[in-house]
Amino acid sequence: MGFLEVEAVSHQYAGTDAQVLNEVSLTIQENEFFTLLGPSGCGKTTMLRILAGFEVPSRGRVTLDGQDILRIPPWRRPVNTVFQSYALFPHLTILRNVTFGLKMRGVAKADRHGAARRALDLVRLDGFADRMPSDLSGGQQQRVALARALACQPRLLLLDEPLSALDYKLRKEMQGELKRIQRETGTSFVFVTHDQEEALAMSDRIAVMRQGTLEQVGNPSDIYDRPSSDFVAEFIGDSNLLNAAPDSQGRLCLPGGRALGIRGDAPARVMIRPEALRIAPDGNLSGQVTDLVYSGAATRFLVALDGGEETVQIQQTSTEAAGISMGDKVCLAYDPQQLWVVAP
Amino acid sequence: MSTAASVAGRRRAGLAAPAILCIAFFMGGPMCIMVFVSLVERAPDGGVIWGNFTTDAYKQFLFEENLLGETTLNADYLRIYLRSALLAGFTVLATLIVGFPTAMYIAMQHPRRRALLIFFLSLPFWVNLLVRNYAWLLLLRANGLLDQAAMALRLTSEPLNILYSNTAIAIGLTYSFLPLMVLPIYAAMEKFDFSLVEAAFDLGASRWQALMHVIVPGVKGGIVAGCLLVFIPGLGSYVTPVLLGGSKSLMIGNLIETQFAAARNWPFGAALAFVLLMMVMAAALLRAALLRKSRRAKSSNP
Amino acid sequence: MKLRTIASAALAALLGAGAALAEEEKQVNLFFWPSYIPDELLERFTKETGIAITMDIYDTNEALLAKLQAGAAGYDVVIPSGYIVPTMIQAGLLQKFDAPSLPNGGNIAPGFADPEFDPGRQYTAPYMWGTTGLVYDSAGTDVELPESWSVFFEPGPLSGKVAALDDEVEVFNAAAYYLGIDKCTEDPREGQQILDLLSAQKPHLLLYGSSGTIDRVLAGEVTMHHIWNGAAHRVRKARDTARYIYPKEGITQWADNLAIPTGAEHPENAKIFIDFLMKPENVAEITNFTGYMNAISGSEPYLTPEIAADPAVNMPAEYADRLRPGRECSPAARDLRNRIWTRLKK
Repeated sequence: MGFLEVEAVSHQYAGTDAQVLNEVSLTIQENEFFTLLGPSGCGKTTMLRILAGFEVPSRGRVTLDGQDILRIPPWRRPVNTVFQSYALFPHLTILRNVTFGLKMRGVAKADRHGAARRALDLVRLDGFADRMPSDLSGGQQQRVALARALACQPRLLLLDEPLSALDYKLRKEMQGELKRIQRETGTSFVFVTHDQEEALAMSDRIAVMRQGTLEQVGNPSDIYDRPSSDFVAEFIGDSNLLNAAPDSQGRLCLPGGRALGIRGDAPARVMIRPEALRIAPDGNLSGQVTDLVYSGAATRFLVALDGGEETVQIQQTSTEAAGISMGDKVCLAYDPQQLWVVAP
Repeated sequence: MSTAASVAGRRRAGLAAPAILCIAFFMGGPMCIMVFVSLVERAPDGGVIWGNFTTDAYKQFLFEENLLGETTLNADYLRIYLRSALLAGFTVLATLIVGFPTAMYIAMQHPRRRALLIFFLSLPFWVNLLVRNYAWLLLLRANGLLDQAAMALRLTSEPLNILYSNTAIAIGLTYSFLPLMVLPIYAAMEKFDFSLVEAAFDLGASRWQALMHVIVPGVKGGIVAGCLLVFIPGLGSYVTPVLLGGSKSLMIGNLIETQFAAARNWPFGAALAFVLLMMVMAAALLRAALLRKSRRAKSSNP
Repeated sequence: MKLRTIASAALAALLGAGAALAEEEKQVNLFFWPSYIPDELLERFTKETGIAITMDIYDTNEALLAKLQAGAAGYDVVIPSGYIVPTMIQAGLLQKFDAPSLPNGGNIAPGFADPEFDPGRQYTAPYMWGTTGLVYDSAGTDVELPESWSVFFEPGPLSGKVAALDDEVEVFNAAAYYLGIDKCTEDPREGQQILDLLSAQKPHLLLYGSSGTIDRVLAGEVTMHHIWNGAAHRVRKARDTARYIYPKEGITQWADNLAIPTGAEHPENAKIFIDFLMKPENVAEITNFTGYMNAISGSEPYLTPEIAADPAVNMPAEYADRLRPGRECSPAARDLRNRIWTRLKK
C-alpha cells in the first residue's frame, strides 16, 4: 500500500458532459518527487485540485496514509499547495504570508515565527520577512509561496506549474532548488507540469496524462526510452517513429524493404531518438538532407530516407556535423538496441 | 524623458481643465456663498444683510438666551446632529451586513448573470425616492401588507406598529441606500482574486477565517467607499424620517429646511449646513487616513 | 410660458404701433398658482371681453415677492396670500385700484371687505380662502366631538389615533389659540407654555405629517387629523361620516388675493379681469374647480351640491368670528417658534 492512493478516480464538472478524469489510479510513495505531465486540458490540474480538496471527484477514492481524505475539507488536510499564480496575500508582509497557515492552526506566535524563519531560510529568502509581496520579483514570490506551504510541514506538497511564469534561467535554477528542498524536507511532492524537460530533470517518477487518462507511469528513463505509446513517444522529447513490418524471415523492415536489425512478428511502430542516429559512411539507412538547423552545441538534420515516404530527424554534435550541407546524400548508422517497438 | 512627461502632464491638465473649472464654479461657488451667508446678519423677512458680518449663527448652534437673558448651553441642535449621525451609522452597519454577502454572491456568479443581478439591484434607483418611501408606508402601516402577512402566518395577532418609529426609518434608509453599499463592494470583489481564498483554505483557514483574513482585507477599499457613500446621504436624509418616522424627531436635513422655510433664518440654516459639511469632511478624511495607513503598511521597508 | 409671453408681447407691440395710446392692447398677463383657475373660465373671459390671456406659474409667496422685487414686469394680475400683502404694499410693489369701486365690488362678502392686511380693499380683491382645522371620522368616535382644540391636544380615548400637520406654523398656532396666547408672541414664558402643551400632546400623536393626510384618514390609520380644509373636503367626499371642526378657540384662515403689480402694462384689462372674477357665477365655477371657498356673496346658488353641503368648504356663517387670519410674525417671534419646534422634536 502506497502513501497516497488514488483509486479509479473519475470526474466531470457539474453541468458538463466532458469527462475530465477517467478511471485514474495512482500510487505515490512517501518522500517521492512525483510529476503529473501532460498537455493542457489533460486533467492534471483537476487531479491536483482533487488532492488539495478543491474538487470532489464524481467517482473514486483517494487515501493518504490509509485515510480516506475526500470527505476532509481542504483546510483540514495535511496537504499544501504552491499555486501557479503563487496566490500570495497582497496585504500581508512576507513573514505574515509564511506564518498564515500556522496562525490559522492556532500555533503560538513565537513558534510561528521560528517556523517561518526556517522556511524562509530553506528557500534562501531570509531578510525579506518584512517586505510586501509586491516588492518582490517573480522568482522571489515563487519562493515565498513555497516557504508558505512548507511552513505548515505538509505530508504532501502539491505544486501547480510553479515554474511556468519564470524565465528560462531562473526556471533551471529553481528546478535544482526544488529538488534540493524536497530532499532536505523529505516531503512527498506532486508536481504538475506540461514541460517534459522539467519533468525528466526533477522527477523520481512521472505520470503522463492524456485526455483524462493515464498514458504511462514510470521513472524518467522508462518514459523517455521505452514509451508505451506514440503519444508518449512524441510528447516526451523528439522522436522518429517508423512504420515497419516483418518480412518472411521475421525481420522488421521499412516499407522500402530495408531491414532495421530487429525481429518482430507483426507490423509495428519503431521509435528511435534523433541523438541515437549518426551520420556514418557504413550506415544502415541512406537518404538526403532536406533541412538543417544549427543550435550551438548540436545541429539537427532532417533526412528523407531513400525509397520511402519516411523522413527522420537526427541530432549530431556540431563538430560531427561540420561539412554536411543541404542536399547531401548521407548514410545513417545506429545501435539496434536503441530501437524501441512502441506497443501496438 | 522628463520634458515628454511634463508635456503629457500639461496636456492632461489642459484636458481636465473644463471639468475642474465646472466643479470649482458649480460646487465651490455655492459652497462659498453658503459659508458667506452663515457669517452675515439675517434680514428680518428672510434673506441676509450682505456685509454685516457676525458669528451669531454659530453661537446659536450651541448657546441660547434663557428667560433671564443669560447665555446658556443649548444641546438641542447637538442632539439632533448626534441622532442623525447615529442613524446614519446604524444604516451603514445594516447595509454592510446585508450588502456584503449580496455583493459577494453577485461577484461569484457567471458574468452574464452578474450583469442581470446588478441590473435588478439598481432597478429601484429608477423610481423616485419619494415613491419608494410611500411604498414602504403602505407595507409597514398598521394593517398594511406586512401586518396582514404576519397575522396570516399567525406570527402575531396585533398590528406590529412598525410605521412611524425609528425602526421604520432604519428599514427605509437601509433599503434606500443598500445599492450604494453593494455596488462599490461588488466592484472590489470583481477585481478580487478568489484564488487567494483557495490559498487560504489550503493553508488551513476555515471559511470564517478566510473571510476575515483574506476577503475583507482584499475588498477593504470597496467597503470603506460603500460605508462613506451610505453615511453621507444618511446624515442628510430628509424624506425618509418625515414619511416613515412620522417626523416626531428632527434630523439635520429637516432642521435645516425649517430655517429656510418657517423660521426664515438663512444664516443659521447656512451655519447648520456648514457644520454638516464639516462632519462629512471628517468622515472623508477618516477614510483617506485609513487608506494611507494601509498603503504605508504595504510599502514599509522597501 | 415665459417665452410665449414675451413673443406675444412683441407681436402685440408691432401690431399696435401707431394705434391710439389711450387704448390698451387686448391682453392681460397672469402670474398664478398652478391649477388654481379652470381653463374654461379663462376661455369664456376672452370670448366675452376680447382680451387674450397668458399665464405664468409660481409656487410660493416668497418666489412671487422675489420676482416682483427683482422688477420682473410684464404681469398684470398676481395672487399673493394675505400675510405677505402688507410687505408687498410697503415695498410699493402693488398699485391701488379700490376693489369695492369695481362694478362687482359690492359682491365682496362682509367678512372679507376690510381685512387687516389691506384695510378697505384698496390694493387687493379676494380670491379663494381656507382654514386649517381638524377632521375626524365620526364612525371611529361614536359621538360627535366638541368644537374645541381640546380634542386634539388632550385626545383621551383617541390617543395614538391622532395626526398633526408636520408644519411648524400650523401646530404652533393651534396651540396658541387653545391657550389663548398671541400666535406671534415674543415672550419666552408664553413660548414655554406652548412647548409644555405640545410636549404633553406628542406621545398621543401617531405622527406629524403634511402629505398623505386624506389617505391616512380613509385608511383608518388615524381617526383625527389636523388638516387643511380642502383636504378635509376630499375626505368627506369619500367618507360621509367625516366631520370638520372649527374650534371655538380660533382657527387659522388663509386667504389669497388678486392684485395688480406696480408697473403693470395692462392695468385696465387687469381690473376687467378682477371684476370678472368677482361675479358670483364666475367665482363659483372656480370654487367648484379648486374645492376652496370664495369670498363673494351670492355665489352659493352656483356651487355644486357637494361643495355647498360640506361645511368644511362652505363655512356656516356662525363660525365667521372664529376665523383668525394668517399673520406675518416678527423675526423674534419666528425664532421663538422655531426654537420651540426644534425642542419639541429634539
